Amino acid sequence: MAPHGGLPVDPIDRAIARARGLIPDQGPIGVFIHHNTLHTYQHLPFHEGVQKGAEELGAKPYLYLSQFRAALAAGRILDSDLRLEISRAFGDSANEVLWHGLTRADLWHALMVSDSFTDDAPGLAYSIAAAEAEECKNLPLWKACLARATTGPALVLDDTRRILRHRDVLVALNAMDPDVGVHAEMIRISAGYTDQGQALAVIPGRDKGFLTAVAQLYANGAAPPRECPGADADFKHVAKAGTSAEDIIRATLPALGVTGDAVEPWLYATILALPGWAGMFSRLERFPGENVGGPPMSLVDFIAVRLLFERRAIERACKAAGVPSAWDQLRNRVPPVPARAPVLDAALLWRFAHEAKAAPEDVAALDQKTLAVLWRECAAATDVARRKIFQEAYERTYREIILDAVAARRQLPDGRQHGRPRAQFIFCIDEREESLRRALEEQHQAYETFGTAGFFGVAIDYQGLYDRGAVPYCPVVVTPAHEVHERPIDSAVERDRSSKARRDFGLGLEGWARRASQTLSGGFGTSLLLGPFAGLKTIARILAPRVSLLIGTQMAASLAPPPTTRLSAIRTTDEDAGDGRKPVGFSLKESTDRVFNALHNIGLVKNFAPIIVVLGHGSTSLNNPHESAHDCGACGGRRGGANARLFADLVNRADVRDALRQRGVEIPADTWFVGGLHDTADDGVRLSDLHTIPDFARAAFEEAVAALETARRHDARERCRRYENISLDDTPENALLHVEGRASHLAQPRPEYGHCTNSIAIVGRRQFTRGLHLDRRPFLISYDPTIDPNDAILERTLAAVGPVGAGISLEYYFSSVDNEVFGCGTKLPHNVTGLVGIMNGHMSDLRTGLPLQMVELHEPMRLLLMVDATPEALLGVAGRQAEVAELVTKEWVQLVSVHPETGEMLVFDRGQFVPYKPRPTLLPVVEKSPDWHLRSRAHLTPALVRSALPPEVVGPGHSGEPAKLTANAA
Amino acid sequence: MHVALAVAVMTPLVGALLTGLIALFRKTRVPEPLVVRIAGVSTVMSLIASLVVLLRFLGVFGAPVRGEIEYGAWLKIGDFLLPAVFLLDGVSVSISVFAASLTVLIVLFSRTYIHKEPGFTRFFALLGIFATGIQLVALAGTMEILLAGWELLGISSALLIGFFHERPEPVRSSIRAFATYRLSDAGLLIAIVYTFEVLETARFSALAAAASLAPTTTTAIALLFILSAMGKSAQLPFSGWLPRAMEGPTPSSALFYGAVSIHAGLFLLLRVYPILEVSMVARTVGVVIGLSTAVYAALVARVHTDAKGTLAHATLAQVGLILAEICMGWTTFALVHMITHAFLRLGQHLKAPNTIHDIHRLGHSHHHPSWLERRAPGFAAWLYSGAISRFRLDDRVDAAVAPFLALARLLDRIDQGWRNATSLDRDPIEASAIKRLAP
Repeated sequence: MAPHGGLPVDPIDRAIARARGLIPDQGPIGVFIHHNTLHTYQHLPFHEGVQKGAEELGAKPYLYLSQFRAALAAGRILDSDLRLEISRAFGDSANEVLWHGLTRADLWHALMVSDSFTDDAPGLAYSIAAAEAEECKNLPLWKACLARATTGPALVLDDTRRILRHRDVLVALNAMDPDVGVHAEMIRISAGYTDQGQALAVIPGRDKGFLTAVAQLYANGAAPPRECPGADADFKHVAKAGTSAEDIIRATLPALGVTGDAVEPWLYATILALPGWAGMFSRLERFPGENVGGPPMSLVDFIAVRLLFERRAIERACKAAGVPSAWDQLRNRVPPVPARAPVLDAALLWRFAHEAKAAPEDVAALDQKTLAVLWRECAAATDVARRKIFQEAYERTYREIILDAVAARRQLPDGRQHGRPRAQFIFCIDEREESLRRALEEQHQAYETFGTAGFFGVAIDYQGLYDRGAVPYCPVVVTPAHEVHERPIDSAVERDRSSKARRDFGLGLEGWARRASQTLSGGFGTSLLLGPFAGLKTIARILAPRVSLLIGTQMAASLAPPPTTRLSAIRTTDEDAGDGRKPVGFSLKESTDRVFNALHNIGLVKNFAPIIVVLGHGSTSLNNPHESAHDCGACGGRRGGANARLFADLVNRADVRDALRQRGVEIPADTWFVGGLHDTADDGVRLSDLHTIPDFARAAFEEAVAALETARRHDARERCRRYENISLDDTPENALLHVEGRASHLAQPRPEYGHCTNSIAIVGRRQFTRGLHLDRRPFLISYDPTIDPNDAILERTLAAVGPVGAGISLEYYFSSVDNEVFGCGTKLPHNVTGLVGIMNGHMSDLRTGLPLQMVELHEPMRLLLMVDATPEALLGVAGRQAEVAELVTKEWVQLVSVHPETGEMLVFDRGQFVPYKPRPTLLPVVEKSPDWHLRSRAHLTPALVRSALPPEVVGPGHSGEPAKLTANAA
Repeated sequence: MHVALAVAVMTPLVGALLTGLIALFRKTRVPEPLVVRIAGVSTVMSLIASLVVLLRFLGVFGAPVRGEIEYGAWLKIGDFLLPAVFLLDGVSVSISVFAASLTVLIVLFSRTYIHKEPGFTRFFALLGIFATGIQLVALAGTMEILLAGWELLGISSALLIGFFHERPEPVRSSIRAFATYRLSDAGLLIAIVYTFEVLETARFSALAAAASLAPTTTTAIALLFILSAMGKSAQLPFSGWLPRAMEGPTPSSALFYGAVSIHAGLFLLLRVYPILEVSMVARTVGVVIGLSTAVYAALVARVHTDAKGTLAHATLAQVGLILAEICMGWTTFALVHMITHAFLRLGQHLKAPNTIHDIHRLGHSHHHPSWLERRAPGFAAWLYSGAISRFRLDDRVDAAVAPFLALARLLDRIDQGWRNATSLDRDPIEASAIKRLAP
């Protein structure tokens, strides 16, 4: 997928291969999978990769300086950390004195915390004239600086404009932008070609490929866009001669004067000009399974069609602007960068003088050489260079707060419950489950929770009762070997048949009316017949979203009641049918293997509670094209309820339990597993197969359900503190109604905040973090190093969790640092196109990444991955797992080794583990979580929650005044 | 009655002005709850008042109040008087209640939808302007009052299309819509002046006298009214702005181009129907335009791949049909068609982002080659290419107006050259700041 080395020699092929790596690799939006947006540069060190990718896409690699400065002012970044990172960046040369006692570190610090380094000359001149500027506080100094800057050598900055294509020159010349017409045309026909079922008619001949289909349109007399006169003749020629896409590319480049060394950068930049659609063609070409409509997809075809339009558009724009259209001539027509106004240099000088406490005379006496040194330093302190250091400081301040808190918690007794737990709950590792787990643990010290990748070790192609086919429910890197179907239980088969018929009829009618309303006669009929009902329904859906949806669902359920179902979990033989199809269900051995591994992964091999609830997660919301982005990444962007149900089904079987016993895992006969789904949007918990619960487990089950009922209300309330339109101190009951309202509201762009708060991943035993309020920020992965002598569990855990966690964290990173390029901007004008993606309003490129509403609270940082394992064990795993090694050594995650016995911490830094000595920390202590998180809507520092821990763990000595809350960065 | 009517018409605008004033005098962002409260209270008051008007009209309290309601003259120059008159009849009262209720609904919807958006205050202020505009159009007793409402509708519509003004495409679309409105509004203005000229009044109640006018006169006036309706209701050849109007936030697209504003042109024709009725030529023109728009829009809707664009054209197809119905003389049927259609599209527009969710539930529908594609593949391909590019309608319009734009650019260049030559255009602040402090 990513062109790590081994690029083709031919410049055209090279450009295409490189572009394939960088254009968005996001499939149709119905199934959203988080991944590292700049995956193609993951083989480079983080900063290098981020800066390179951002530059090539014209994006921001980090937050703005103004955002970092706001974080500094709010205490989110400590000034001491900022200074530390500056000196780390320069090593010994940081303390070199440049002028009047001003060291290099001082100079950089001044440039970072102040906004003196600006290019807004009129703005600066205005604020000085209006006496609003800081410089006016010391006018004599300002006058001296202005005088010195006017006469001395000037600061010369690199020309950062990226002039790579004809269009860049034309725009720099204020001429017509040829991309406007080309893109409008490409967007329309690409969508028409790719469409997966929105339009009633698709482009004729689309089974023959994109280039041929478009050429055929023109052969049949289509009119070219006004911006591309002559393109119709070119296409006619292509249709007649059957020219291949490669030949078109090879012929068009010289026609535009793009030859020799110019070919690769020109073509590369041209492919990146419309990244969303180019990416969709490339993606569907490589993953035909996602291509529901089924036309052959080819990025090369896409490029060829684009070039045919682009050539004519460029010729027309160049002619209108009176410039040559040959690239080798046009590229020299770029207007020069206007010289920097002296007033801008003076502002820099004033800042340095101010920091160095220099007098006006000192400024006047500043010699040419020293001034040149200062300017050289300024030229090096580019925007990106300063933001990079800020990013490091931003991460350091947070990292140390978390490491200190975890270390302080670890110094306390581990708080393990002695004796048998009353109930155990197994969740996905998702940080959204952290609050729910806390809410359970706080109810009783004998409630235990675990976290594991949300497919629970059972990778399947799953077909639900009403699904039209089986699709994978597992991490994307895994290909399931089994299918599992949901079927009505035998006694319900007959009843189900008529119910299904009614359901199909209803849905068929709805689908028909939907399509008919788009047509002339159908629109006429549906208006007159259905219009009034549609109006009433709209009114009800807006006035009472929750209740009206409930009534609708209940009406549908009473007309076509869903039957009781079971999963086809088991097959009786180990043999394959031999017909090449995947076996349906797991054999005894396969079941035992999976259950055995899954239990070992989380360290649950003894001390089983009478009731164990396994909860996958998913998210329901309306009017939200990004609905799937809230589902479970470990289930391939789908909901993990089926996997949890299947896992419970397997482990409840007597034969599986016998086989487990032979392998040393003794599950008591009175232990029962229940699977289910936690909806992270409406905080609903839906448990499966309740009719199979045996009588002996009934009482324990009732208790677990009651605990979940309480916990989900508290979870809803904790989530609600982030939503400004419900008060902080509302009751848990109202909070639950509120989140249910959100999930059912058509007007809700924020049904939930998704992974917005993720920042940490903790791999280790829960007993060392239990009772620590981590504010829904960590992925919590249960792992017990004491049952993992040869690191096999560690290896498979990190191999699964590392890339998934880093993928989520990096997707959120990029979508928040540049929401317009890496993300897809605000949701409000989004328009679903071709059922494959979204665009802005009536016409834009496909928008990929996450919308603003999903990332607005996010603090873009690399994932802080803390693992309960020795550095040796981690290095061993890295040696065997290439992707984990890449993420760690290239610093796309921040890895911390926490020694399983001593708790000693080592931070992986520039190729080695460096010991981290936690600062002594007195954690604030609260009785219950809400006492901590209901004080503020901002991000929180960790606190200890007494009720989750045995009384002896948190003595009175620990309760102190709460620490200051960290502020939101943005 | 006077009070209820005034409240129904004016409160949303007062609310919008109030919001604007608060925004002007506060240094910081106006708190969202305050904006919503003002918008909510003013539109709900407008709805209640319009319901009171409806009840009085129906004669629920006392004798039915019908016909013209006078507020005296709002303009007086010498002997020349322009009266402020509102007209209560079945059509105006029902449209008034209908529009007021949909506005309240959209305010409720937008309260959560626009939450935290930088343009929150602006959005609700524009909704207020729209609400008063549509009440003026609905209840106006004279054409000048209707024109005032018509212009409020136009400006709020154009500004909401350009709501996300930090990106170029919404601004381009907004300007296109605005330019189209200006052109067709000129038709309305001339029609009003012309009517005034020949009938000495522009009261709708006086239009019955149109039957006695010369056929050329009525035809000219009727064609001008059709021109103004064509712009507002996006009939050919002005249809290009409608899909572009989908640049705005979803709820305003639903209210304007799904339900209310798009039908305003049709309502105008219902209002001036007495003039239209007597001109066979104008009616024929209207039928031809309406039907060709319907066919055009239906062809485009068939191939469009984006949810909102498809809906916009599906809506337009029905609007074209309704225009034809009115010009055929089936006015009551047209009114029913208009209202049921508005109800249908409001919900569909609001639910446009739900397309993916719906398809997961309803299942993908697979394409099969149509009868036409099998019988005449060449023609089908031509038809497809025409429809997917909207028959290059925008390009043709652009080509038609290109000479005017070229002239405007030339004049601008001359003006700039003159200003540069006389150094009127230099930035005084920058120059003085640097000059004053330079050594």
